[in-house]
Amino acid sequence: MNKKSKLSPEERELRRLQEESEQKRKRGEHEGRNLLSELNNALDSATRVLVKGLSAHKWQSLVIPLLAIFLSLATISVVILSFGSSPLEVFRSLLAGAGWLPKVNYGGGQSQLTDLVNLATTLTPLLFGALGFVVAMRAGLFNIGIAGQMVLAGFAATVLVGYSDMSALVARPLVLLIGIAVGALAGALIGFMKYRFNIHEVVSSIMLNNIFILVVSYFIKSYYLDDVSRNARAASAEARLLTEPIQIGEVSARLPVGFLLAIIAAFILWFFLTKTKQGFEMTAVGKSPKAAEYAGIKIGRTVVSAMALSGAMGGLAGVTHYLASVPSVAPDKLAGVGFDSIAVAFLGNVHPLGAVLAATLIATLSSGAVYMSSIVGVRQEIAALITGMILLFTACGGYLRAWIDVKKRNMAESDADSSGDSSACVASKVSKRENEVAAETEVEALQSADNAELRGGDGK
Amino acid sequence: MPKKEQQHEILLEVKGVTKRFPGIVACDEINLEIRKGEIYALLGENGAGKSTLASMIFGLYQPDEGQIFIRGEEVQIDSPNEAVALDIGMVHQHFKLISNYSVTENIILGDEPKKRALGIFPYVDIKSAEAHIENLSQDYGLEVDPRAIISDLGVSTQQRVEILKMLYRDAELLIFDEPTAMLTPQEIESLLKVIKNLRDQGKTIIFITHKLDEVMEVCDRCAILVRGKLVDVSKIEDTNPREMAAKMVGRDIDFSAKRPAKTVGETVLEVQNLRVEDGTGFPRVNDVSFDVHAGEIFAVAGVSGSGQTELADAVAGLIKAKGGKVKLRGQDLAKLNVRKRSESGIAYIPEDRQSVGLILDFPLDQNLALKSYYQAPYCKTSLLKPQAFSEHANELIDGFDIRCARGAKTTVREMSGGNQQKAIVGREIDQDADLLIFVQPTRGLDIGAIMAIRERILDERDKGKAVLLISLELDEVMDLADTIGVMYAGQMLKVAPASELSTNKVGEYMMGVTDDE
Repeated sequence: MNKKSKLSPEERELRRLQEESEQKRKRGEHEGRNLLSELNNALDSATRVLVKGLSAHKWQSLVIPLLAIFLSLATISVVILSFGSSPLEVFRSLLAGAGWLPKVNYGGGQSQLTDLVNLATTLTPLLFGALGFVVAMRAGLFNIGIAGQMVLAGFAATVLVGYSDMSALVARPLVLLIGIAVGALAGALIGFMKYRFNIHEVVSSIMLNNIFILVVSYFIKSYYLDDVSRNARAASAEARLLTEPIQIGEVSARLPVGFLLAIIAAFILWFFLTKTKQGFEMTAVGKSPKAAEYAGIKIGRTVVSAMALSGAMGGLAGVTHYLASVPSVAPDKLAGVGFDSIAVAFLGNVHPLGAVLAATLIATLSSGAVYMSSIVGVRQEIAALITGMILLFTACGGYLRAWIDVKKRNMAESDADSSGDSSACVASKVSKRENEVAAETEVEALQSADNAELRGGDGK
Repeated sequence: MPKKEQQHEILLEVKGVTKRFPGIVACDEINLEIRKGEIYALLGENGAGKSTLASMIFGLYQPDEGQIFIRGEEVQIDSPNEAVALDIGMVHQHFKLISNYSVTENIILGDEPKKRALGIFPYVDIKSAEAHIENLSQDYGLEVDPRAIISDLGVSTQQRVEILKMLYRDAELLIFDEPTAMLTPQEIESLLKVIKNLRDQGKTIIFITHKLDEVMEVCDRCAILVRGKLVDVSKIEDTNPREMAAKMVGRDIDFSAKRPAKTVGETVLEVQNLRVEDGTGFPRVNDVSFDVHAGEIFAVAGVSGSGQTELADAVAGLIKAKGGKVKLRGQDLAKLNVRKRSESGIAYIPEDRQSVGLILDFPLDQNLALKSYYQAPYCKTSLLKPQAFSEHANELIDGFDIRCARGAKTTVREMSGGNQQKAIVGREIDQDADLLIFVQPTRGLDIGAIMAIRERILDERDKGKAVLLISLELDEVMDLADTIGVMYAGQMLKVAPASELSTNKVGEYMMGVTDDE
């Protein structure tokens, strides 16, 4: 007090101004902090809801891919908007192009049904390939060789059956059987090399991909080349895995023979992997080879048979691709389907039934792309971009799952001492509100701080 | 410790530290004062909160409540790096060394002395680090060659490398987390010498253990933890083992569950001149012969890596023997694979319960049928019968007190180590095999689970089963064995009735010391 009285009025004024600005600064800080903490609270409760919603293990495998798809569509929408097009229009036309929605108009003899049949035709090899990958993956094997198994099986079926004059009734089952047999042998070879010589399946399947396509190319170019298309000569209509044109209403369509088989195969595989002894053994080897060996499971036999089964699916993908989706076997080039199917398998959570949904989604995107491009006027690669986005976000699914687990544990931990927590929370909220007042006058601030403490104490 | 009259400087103070984990309070308002230059024991059973407390001091966990003071200043230790900056070091129970690096490389890792050749090109100055480490090693009597490769070193030397690592970083406070768990009696003795030596050179040591005799031998003061609570701090001079034990367990328990064998029956397992080689042709098991009889526990003692694991694997059929014979009830097993051996009467509790004994991502019921899933009632014409799996699982869950959150469908990964082990033990005993092989059956388990499993082993013996027990814990071997075989460097150095061998004698054989009387 003494000191203060000695100060000149100017100095006193200066000090008052300083104090005022100091208070203003504090107030601003408080507001900023409040906003931040509120934002934090909002984020916190949002994550709580998300974690609670997603932590039920039963639904995680379904919800997380859906979330990934949603996020990728949201992201791609931004990209499309930046082109000045409407994302909704893009998605709608994609669906229309794939046959899920009616198009504006159709060419002669075509309808929505034609598009759906085309979708089923492209979907079939994709699904078979994905199933092949899933089986191998369940047994802990990464079968990159689907594309190689496809071309070998497709070529073998074309040469053995497609160039003969068998009737459709004999030819089509034979094509399927050859697909299974050739694919299984090609797959088993990888499994055998893994077991016998300890060659990693990724290495051997990449090398075999190259070997198969080069051998097939050599034979095509030497003996079976079609001079116009520069591909192998087309197989006979009887051998192709499309039915005779069937009249449905006004349109006629060739239905893909393999489509129903692929769907059935997915269910059979699901049953096989979860309900049978052999499926149990494959999964056990995949999860822990050491424990499987300890349990008396023959690792070598299991690995070889898992790869044979995987290869058989790859072979079916091959015959349904080369003898249905495309006109004939092309030399020098592996089918992209063989690699896309790996992505499909992952998108489908490495589950046979998940693969059905994932294959449908990816096939929709690829088969609707051309129509989408022509209607909306954006490049058809947008469809591939969507696929890529979905895969990217799906790949984040593992991270999301781990994140949820960690959050859940933390939440359980904080819930454990929530009794103490809640009262502290009340106290802090009270004091927060009081702090705003505190900035007004110092005396009041002191009092209210006391109040806050009192109230906090009451809360406890 | 020489008595000093002056007030000791307090190096570390822990005030009201609490740490909660879901479901348990690991540390409950712990208060400690650790003085400079003393050896301070944290004594308690498994799960008493010793390691959690040490982990908080070393920055691996953060306390939920309470404060930590170093040299009188409050500190927040958020990571081990900060702990190191505060001159705190820790030797973990499992060493953190890169096995194909040299001692020096391991020690300087993360804190490499850098120099520039010609003032430009940076390189790691191994030479000066080596010299520095050599000096440290001599000063503290550690006898470690800084140029040796870790994989060539024994367990106790590796532990000294960990100690050097702390010293290299100028640690003042050294935390030892159960440092003697993996050592032989002789190695323990020399470690305790090293620890005393460190104290005499002015270092402060926190010594975590559950072994009373070690506390009595080296420590100055001792804090006893029971279920997360600090129950007692006392000077070693003022207390005795009996008193400490009573405080530690809260009751008198008899650790030696030993029951003498009733009647030893016929020979069940015959091992004759068994030889097992590793990939390079080096003999892991070399000319080993012994018999195990019905109603007998044959315990194999030996330091880690003496060939015990390979011996068990070879008997169970997981690895192929290069020579010799293994016979079960007179039947030669050579031509039988793992499954056939299991069917003919071998149950096997493997050393690595998580990657060998169980499939962690499988539910409990499937794991409990891992050896029999292919037979009726679990499997009929290749189709699995889920009902049979869960019925069988529920029986074992009750019978063996396996605690699992979601019953038979619990994923084994979610279960605690003790319950995982109970599941394996339950599954194997349930096979009703003539021969039971236990490898390290109680490693890392808490006292309750240890007692339960030892009890089971004795029960099976009393039922007339032959038991082959392989353990690195000498106490366990001494407590349970009827006959002891000691392995050293792949050879069975000594086989004798347990009554004829003292703990020290077994310890000597474990180190390869034989006196040909």
